[in-house]
Amino acid sequence: MNSKRILLWDLPTRLFHWLLALAVVALVVTGKVGGNLIDWHGKVGLAVVGLIVFRVVWGLVGSTYARFCQFFPTPARISAYLKGEWRGHGHNPLGALSVFGLLAVLTVQLLTGLVANDDIAFVGPLYELVGRDLSNLATGWHKLSVNMLIVLVILHLAAIMFYAHVKKDNLVKPMVRGWKEVPSGESAQGGGMLSLVLAIVFALVAVYAASGRWLPEPPPPPPAAVQTPAW
Amino acid sequence: MKTKLLLALLVGSLAATAHAQVKVEDAIKWRQSAYATMGWSMGRIKANIDGTYNKDEVIKSANVIQAIANSGMGALYVPGSDKGKGWVDTRVKPELFTDGPKVGKIATEFNQAANELAKVAATGDAAAVKAAFGKLGASCKSCHDDYRTKQ
Ligand code: HEC
Ligand code: HEM
Repeated sequence: MNSKRILLWDLPTRLFHWLLALAVVALVVTGKVGGNLIDWHGKVGLAVVGLIVFRVVWGLVGSTYARFCQFFPTPARISAYLKGEWRGHGHNPLGALSVFGLLAVLTVQLLTGLVANDDIAFVGPLYELVGRDLSNLATGWHKLSVNMLIVLVILHLAAIMFYAHVKKDNLVKPMVRGWKEVPSGESAQGGGMLSLVLAIVFALVAVYAASGRWLPEPPPPPPAAVQTPAW
Repeated sequence: MKTKLLLALLVGSLAATAHAQVKVEDAIKWRQSAYATMGWSMGRIKANIDGTYNKDEVIKSANVIQAIANSGMGALYVPGSDKGKGWVDTRVKPELFTDGPKVGKIATEFNQAANELAKVAATGDAAAVKAAFGKLGASCKSCHDDYRTKQ
């Protein structure tokens, strides 16, 4: 039985994956602990806006196995997989469901977080756009939907354990090293410098948009600028 | 003599009821106002920590929080005020009325954090204020996490 090495996950995809994992852990911890850590919550959250937008663009212009159309879980693919007829590499159709599920929940988390408030001393950078009532509503969703995220992360980890121990397939190594030993298959193609620059530019623009820097009035007006009675 | 005694009893009981009966709507309004005022003060302190530090403004704000924290706000959680409307519909969870010791612990920690902030604010040490401010914020949050509905 001869096997060969193929490039499965390109470097940008791997970097994205591990940075996101780190960031999500940091966000859950800082969100739950609060206090001064809420400032870091906001900063890391903004970075995740960049990561997610990067990944979405990379899903369109990245290399073979990183592309959404490569692993989009159509009903036909899912049923083929369940019958044991799937022979691809990369995300299998069920894993793909988890990928899109995670991206969706993270998007909800980001959109609600950007306009959230903690009623103590922190508001998301786009709070001004929606006002207090909507912000309270978004904050409620933010706290509820994070539970969905935690469930998906646990499923994700459980699936990896299942593959490692039952199916004897180590999914972690390729996500670290990039390559994988397979009986047959092709290395990932595409996702060159131009695609990378494109994805990074989109990500930076998204972070700028989410940061609220462009909002007409900077949220804390300098004390001296407004005249109020001295008492 | 008898009439005097009766009168005294009557006046006494009237006074007692007047004292005990904080109207539910008022109680909810007052506590919502008190919390909102602390929110104002927290925002002010944060602006000083993040921007240029004005010792006097921080002292004023920290004193407001300390005063409210030590005002005995528990008195505003009158029976029946687990539901109802003050300025807005109340968001208190019914558990606040039944969790006795656990609420007491959170409230005590909150008081201590508020006292500490006022103490360090008086020294004008911005770094110490930042640390005490973070602790106080976390204690606000711990009560909200447990005893305030999400929306
Ligand atoms: C002992 C528990 C407790 C602590 C401590 C606490 N809160 Fe609250 N907070 C509540 C509850 C309960 C409500 C909902 C009150 C209601 O709607 O009846 C509330 C409501 C609020 C509101 C909304 C008020 C409104 O407009 O309706 C703000 C703002 C707020 N708290 C800020 C703070 C800040 C800032 C601190 C710390 C300095 C703090 N809270 C500490 C329990 C607490
Ligand atoms: C994927 C990204 C994010 C994740 C996973 C996340 C996760 C969390 C978690 C776990 C909490 C605590 C919820 C609870 O108390 O039960 C929280 C609270 C909060 N988050 Fe996020 N968050 C994210 C993005 C953001 C962003 C971008 C912002 C704004 C810049 C933000 C603003 C807030 C605020 C204001 C709270 C405090 C709510 C409160 O304590 O009342 N979050 N978040």
